[in-house]
Amino acid sequence: MGTLKVQGLRKKYGKTTAVDGVDLAVENGEFFVVLGPSGAGKTTTLKCIAGLLEFDDGWIEIAGRNMSGVEPYHRNVAMAFESYALYPQKTVFENLASPLRSGRTGRYGAEERRRRIQTVTDTLGISHLWERFPRELSNGQRQRVALGRVLVRPADVYLLDEPLSHLDAKLRAAMRAELKQLGELADITTLYVTHDYQEALALGDRVAVLRDGRIVQVDTPEQVWHQPVDTFVARALGQPEMNLLDGRVDGGRIRVAGGTVSIPVPPALGVQQRQAVRVGLRPRDISTGADPGAEPPGRLRMRGTVRLAERLGRSVEMSVDVAGTPVIVVVSSDNARPEGDEVDLDIALEHVHVFAGGEPDVDTPRLGAAGIELGKQA
Amino acid sequence: MSTTVTGRTHEPAPVQEEPERPPSVPAWRRKARPYVLSIPAVLIIAGILYPFFLGAYYGVLNYSAINPEPIFVGLENFARVLTDSQFWGSVRVTLVFAVVATGAEMVLGVGVALLLNRASRVGRIFERVLILPLMVAPVIAGVIWGLMYNPQFGVLNYVFGLGSTFNWLSTDLALWSVILVDIWIFTPFVAILVLAGIRSLPRDPFEASEVDGASWFYTFRRLTLPMIWPYILVAVIFRFMDCLKIFDHIYVLTAGGPGAATRTLQIGAYEDSIINLNYSLGSTYMFLLWILVFITARYLVSVLGKAQRRAAGAEG
Amino acid sequence: MSTELLPGRRRFTLTSVLADLALLAWFTFALFPILWMVLLALKTSAEQTSTYFAFSPTLENFGTVLSARGTELTSVDFTSTLITSVVSCVGAVLVSLIIGVPAAYAAGRWKYRGSNDVMFTILSFRFAPELMVVVPLFVIYHQIGLFDTRVGLIWVLQLVTMPLVVWILRSYFQDLPEDLEQAALLDGYTRRRTFLTVALPLVRPGIAAAALLAFIFAWNNYVFALILTGNEANTVTVAITKFLGGGGQAYYNLTAAAAVIAALPPLILALTIQRYLVRGLSFGAVKA
Repeated sequence: MGTLKVQGLRKKYGKTTAVDGVDLAVENGEFFVVLGPSGAGKTTTLKCIAGLLEFDDGWIEIAGRNMSGVEPYHRNVAMAFESYALYPQKTVFENLASPLRSGRTGRYGAEERRRRIQTVTDTLGISHLWERFPRELSNGQRQRVALGRVLVRPADVYLLDEPLSHLDAKLRAAMRAELKQLGELADITTLYVTHDYQEALALGDRVAVLRDGRIVQVDTPEQVWHQPVDTFVARALGQPEMNLLDGRVDGGRIRVAGGTVSIPVPPALGVQQRQAVRVGLRPRDISTGADPGAEPPGRLRMRGTVRLAERLGRSVEMSVDVAGTPVIVVVSSDNARPEGDEVDLDIALEHVHVFAGGEPDVDTPRLGAAGIELGKQA
Repeated sequence: MSTTVTGRTHEPAPVQEEPERPPSVPAWRRKARPYVLSIPAVLIIAGILYPFFLGAYYGVLNYSAINPEPIFVGLENFARVLTDSQFWGSVRVTLVFAVVATGAEMVLGVGVALLLNRASRVGRIFERVLILPLMVAPVIAGVIWGLMYNPQFGVLNYVFGLGSTFNWLSTDLALWSVILVDIWIFTPFVAILVLAGIRSLPRDPFEASEVDGASWFYTFRRLTLPMIWPYILVAVIFRFMDCLKIFDHIYVLTAGGPGAATRTLQIGAYEDSIINLNYSLGSTYMFLLWILVFITARYLVSVLGKAQRRAAGAEG
Repeated sequence: MSTELLPGRRRFTLTSVLADLALLAWFTFALFPILWMVLLALKTSAEQTSTYFAFSPTLENFGTVLSARGTELTSVDFTSTLITSVVSCVGAVLVSLIIGVPAAYAAGRWKYRGSNDVMFTILSFRFAPELMVVVPLFVIYHQIGLFDTRVGLIWVLQLVTMPLVVWILRSYFQDLPEDLEQAALLDGYTRRRTFLTVALPLVRPGIAAAALLAFIFAWNNYVFALILTGNEANTVTVAITKFLGGGGQAYYNLTAAAAVIAALPPLILALTIQRYLVRGLSFGAVKA
């Protein structure tokens, strides 16, 4: 167990900057998730921490010890690779025994090694695979062995690189639940890297969102979800993506969709008259069941026409045309409407995110919500 | 999990103590790693480059066995060689050999590869022994073919009914006969490379082309040939460069003769430096050959690079 | 479904017969000289120039070539040249492996300044005209006493074996996923142990292919031994040509017998590494 600190980490490959000044501070025993699209520099960051890559600038501290120039085998760090990196010429048992045999993760007798491997493989449900070679395993099984090789040994920090990325959706959900349990069980400082926001929100004690080699936001999953710092984070979390509607402040209200929808602005938002803003609505925060009529306080109502309805399992994704502006809505199939129907959309004002305005492809910072935000004491 | 942990691990370290810093390696030592690993190889390189440069240096001396105290003569050797009709004869012989042999080996090699790729029963048997001529030492090949070419008792004149006077190694025919031996040895090399290339191609375009009813020749020209072009070029590089410095089988078959009919540049250099023991003249030959090889190599490698990029672009 | 699309139906069409005939023609051409060499090796001296395919075969020539009687007849001690060939080729391959494997690993794993220069200089040895190096070496060897020695041969054979070993292995190391070695480093193994226990075992096929191919080409080499050895350290390739006579009687049947013996090791080795031949022959340029 140990803390992990990264400061000003910078790494270039030729002319492209992979990591551009990353700062991280992971608490002892914390399960810390780094979320980012592919190419954001997640794996590079992990490998720099593990000592596997030379970096250009920055400083890394593990368990209170400065790691500059320290060889990977002296860092007491375990890592699960996205590619699994199982030794192809060794059986599952030998793969798992490898870290225990090196003498640098502690000294173990044959009996003790066996016992540790037994414990880990029982937990992961792969005890029957001991004598198999990696090529004889399914991807899910390989993934477990790779995780097992991390869990079987003590370490200051566990680094997990997209450990679920190659699994199909079903297995991924199951493994996610298992990992959650393991994380609580092992209580070892863990840095977990993923491109999947659901994993990040489900597993992380805290989540850092990485973009183009920079950290955009570090917060608890709730905060990252409810108060994304900008439109990039807001879009990165949630499927389908958050609706972003361009609007303008006019007479104390934000007018979007050609002025047909107007949203009250709380004074705390600090927006100016005529200021361009963006309104963000998560598709799943919007409901359709509302009675037509007056807008109750604390809620926003919009009227539109269903242009497209697509069934996604138990829910339905609808594209609703609100005065020429498409709004994506996901509702349960009971509340779905057929294409061509008029529909009243309803959303709580605290779920109406307000961002600064900007060019279509530029991400802009969040200003606040149109309602009273939960859990935020300003 | 209770474990017996000794000294070297960092498992639960006491919090209040200042943790011991593990050993670190200075940056220059980490950066030096690949260089350290390459040092022995670089030494070998130096050991081979030394005689190479010495050879180039001989070119500007008048060094020979009868003149063991050489003096600097500048470009005299080069002037002498470059105005020598025998040298230009050697250049012609070398180029004819290289172009004809490489060309024929490419055509035959691609042909054999295409035939073997059909995977007929006959082909599967032959494929196992395809490599054999390539593995026979060129000298041995030269010796065997020399015996087969022999006018009096050679099997070729017997089999083809040419009597006992037809001379395969006459002034007119010798160059073509040694080219034939080169074709015999090295066509399998081309065939093996190209066959591997054909087998690594994706199947979809060929199936699509078959469904479209394209003719065999059209498919070959428009599809197969462009896709295996990089493989062919690799083969061309190896063969053409080897042909420029051809020595072994020519030396045992004809030793450059009759006259100078098969006197390639390396044979010429051998005559001058080893037989006549005029090291400077031989080295001048070699230096000029080296320049020829160098220029050719640069050109062929750049062509290959372009072809590989194009092939990669076509697939991606 | 149309039967035309069924594989196996097309085997007996006219084109397939023609294709098989063309293959048959090629392989007749390719295999006949080897067959002829074997036939000649089985003939007696009386029959060597007077018969073609009908003769009474004998194994006597092999005995003659390998025994001391070869010396009386032709002044060639073929057995000792065999030993020289084995010693110098094995030695050359070992030296190349010991020196080339680390260099290949460095070049395959790291992009360091000058790595391409080193690699291409090594490759250029493969394409350099041998005499460019051998003529000065002829002079140097005479001066430092390496002329006509096995050590001298091992040294100059690096020109053949080194580029092969380094380039083939570099391509194998490049193909080896870096993650495996990194995993071993994090498991607590030093870089040396990681190299020895993870990287090296995984490129074993490459090492075997490179070593055997390097051996074959060193064995088949002619120029170096021709110029840099006298009577003491002749190799088999040089010895064979000496049976052809020059002055005395020509022993074609003995030549053929010696050629068969000399050709056997490469032929056998080539068949054992057939799977890796393509990659080896193209110096790793073609990965099949």
